Amino acid sequence: MIASDLLDARVLEADGQAVGWVVDLRLVLDGTTDGILARPRLHGLVVSPRTRTSFLGFERSDVRSPWPIAPLLRRWHRGTFLVHWPDVARVPEPDDADHPGPAVVVLRPGYLRYDATLHR
Amino acid sequence: MKRLLAVALGILTAIGGFLDAGDLVTNAVVGSRFGMSLAWVVGAGVIGICVFAHMSGKVAAVSGRATFEIIRERLGPRAAGLNLAASLAVTVLTLVAEVGGIALALQLASSVDHRLWVPVAALAVWLVLWRVKFEIMENVTGLLGLALVGFAVAVFLLGPDWGELAAQLAPQVPVEEDAGTYWYYAIALFGAAMTPYEVFFFSSGGVEEGWTAKDLATSRLNVLVGFPLGGLLSVSIAACAALVLMPAGIQVDAMSQLTLPVAQAGGTLLVAVIIVGIVAATFGAALETALSTGYSLSQYLGWSWGKFRRPAQAARFHLAMILALVVAVAVLATNVDPIAVTEYSVVFSAVALPLTYLPILVVANDPEYMGDQVNGRAMNAVATVYLVIIVVAAVAAIPLMIATEAGG
Repeated sequence: MIASDLLDARVLEADGQAVGWVVDLRLVLDGTTDGILARPRLHGLVVSPRTRTSFLGFERSDVRSPWPIAPLLRRWHRGTFLVHWPDVARVPEPDDADHPGPAVVVLRPGYLRYDATLHR
Repeated sequence: MKRLLAVALGILTAIGGFLDAGDLVTNAVVGSRFGMSLAWVVGAGVIGICVFAHMSGKVAAVSGRATFEIIRERLGPRAAGLNLAASLAVTVLTLVAEVGGIALALQLASSVDHRLWVPVAALAVWLVLWRVKFEIMENVTGLLGLALVGFAVAVFLLGPDWGELAAQLAPQVPVEEDAGTYWYYAIALFGAAMTPYEVFFFSSGGVEEGWTAKDLATSRLNVLVGFPLGGLLSVSIAACAALVLMPAGIQVDAMSQLTLPVAQAGGTLLVAVIIVGIVAATFGAALETALSTGYSLSQYLGWSWGKFRRPAQAARFHLAMILALVVAVAVLATNVDPIAVTEYSVVFSAVALPLTYLPILVVANDPEYMGDQVNGRAMNAVATVYLVIIVVAAVAAIPLMIATEAGG
C-alpha cells in the first residue's frame, strides 16, 4: 500500500455510513533508524466530513490568519477529526465486490474520533 | 559593489519577469498602441510581485524550504500536480522564447541568422547550468542586464514633453483600440510581472545562497531593489515606443524594432549598450526558467536539487533542465516565432498563479514554520487584496484571450 491508496479515499463506518474523506495522513518518526531519519509509522488518518480538498495545514494548529481564508477553510472543514490507524478495519482492494468504484476506508465499530490539532 | 552584488538575485529574478524576450517586445507593443495608459498595471504588478516574493523569500530563509516544497506539502499531490503541470508549461514556453530571444539578440549584433544561433545559445545556457557557480551566474547576468538602463537613458535623451507623457499615465482606452484588447494587455502585463517561475527561482535561489533568518534583510533588499527596477525599465521601454513608434504609426512585431527609438535617442553607442543588455537579459531569463523547471519538478517529486550540489548528486535535477533545453531547441527548430510562443503562456499562468500564491500566504502565517516572523496584519491585508486580484485576473485571462484573439 502507498499513501495515494489512502489519500482522497471515502471513509465509511462499519455499517456503511459515510463520514467523510481522507484529506491527510499523520505519520510519526519512531521506527528504527533508516539513513538519517527514523522509519516513519502511519499514526492515523485525518478525515474531513464535507470535502476532500486540502485543509492547507490549518488542521494542525489554531492559526486564525490570514483573514478571511483561515475562517472560510475552517468553516468548510468543520468537524475534521483524526482516527488512529488501528481503528481502521480494512481498506478494500479496488476490485472488491462489496465496494466497487473509488477507494474507501472502512472503520471499526466503536472507533474514536480524536482532535486533529497537534499539541506541543 | 558588495551591496550591488547582494541584490543580484533580485535583479536577475526581476529581469526574468519584466524584461525577458516576450516582455521586451510586449512592452514595446503596449507603448506603441496604448501609450503610457497601461503603465499603472506595471505598478500594480510590481507591488504584487514584491508582496509575493517577499513572503516566499521569508519562508525560504526562516524554514529553509523552497516554494514548491511548500506547495506540495500544503495542497497535496493532486492539486499540486495540476499546479506543477501548468507551471511547467509556462516555464518551458518562456524558456523556448528566451533561447529564441538570445538568438534574435545575437542576430542583431552579428547579422548571422537567428536560427543558426539557437543551438549555440542552448549549449551556452546548458554549460552555465552545468558548470558555473550560482553566485557567479547571478552576478554576471544581473550586472550585464543592467545595461537595459539604456532604455531609461533613451527616454531622457528623447527629451519628451514630460507633462504630456505624465498625462498619458491615466488609465484610459485609446480611441482606436477596444476595451477588450486593452484589458487583455492589462492582464498580460500583470501576468508577466507575477509569474510563478520568478518565485520558484527567487525562493530556491535563497536556499542556494544558504539564507537563514539572519538574511531576512538581504531578502527584503533584493525584493525592494530588483522588482521596482525591473518595472521601471519595463515602463521605460513602453515610453520609448510611445514617444517614437506611436506617433510614426509603427506597429511593433519584432525584437529589432526595440532598437529604433534607442538609435534615434543615443545613436550606435546606446544601441550597442542595449544589445548587450538584451543578450544578458534573455540569457539570464533562460537560466532562470531552466532552473525553475528543475527546481519545481525536483521539489514536487522530492529529488535532491540545487546548484550547490555537484551534478552527480542532483542528477535528476540536471536531467530535467537538459530535457527542457532539448524541448526548447526542438520547438524552435519548427521555425515558430519565439515571441509568439509566450502569448499562450498567460493561459497556463492563470491556472498556476493562484495555486502557487495561496500556499505561500498560508505558510507565511504559520508560526510552526515561521516562529515570530509570521506576517503582520498590514502584510496580510495587502496580500489578501492581491489574492483577489490574482483570482480575478486568472478567471478573466482565458475568455479575454479568446475574445480578442490574443490581442490581435
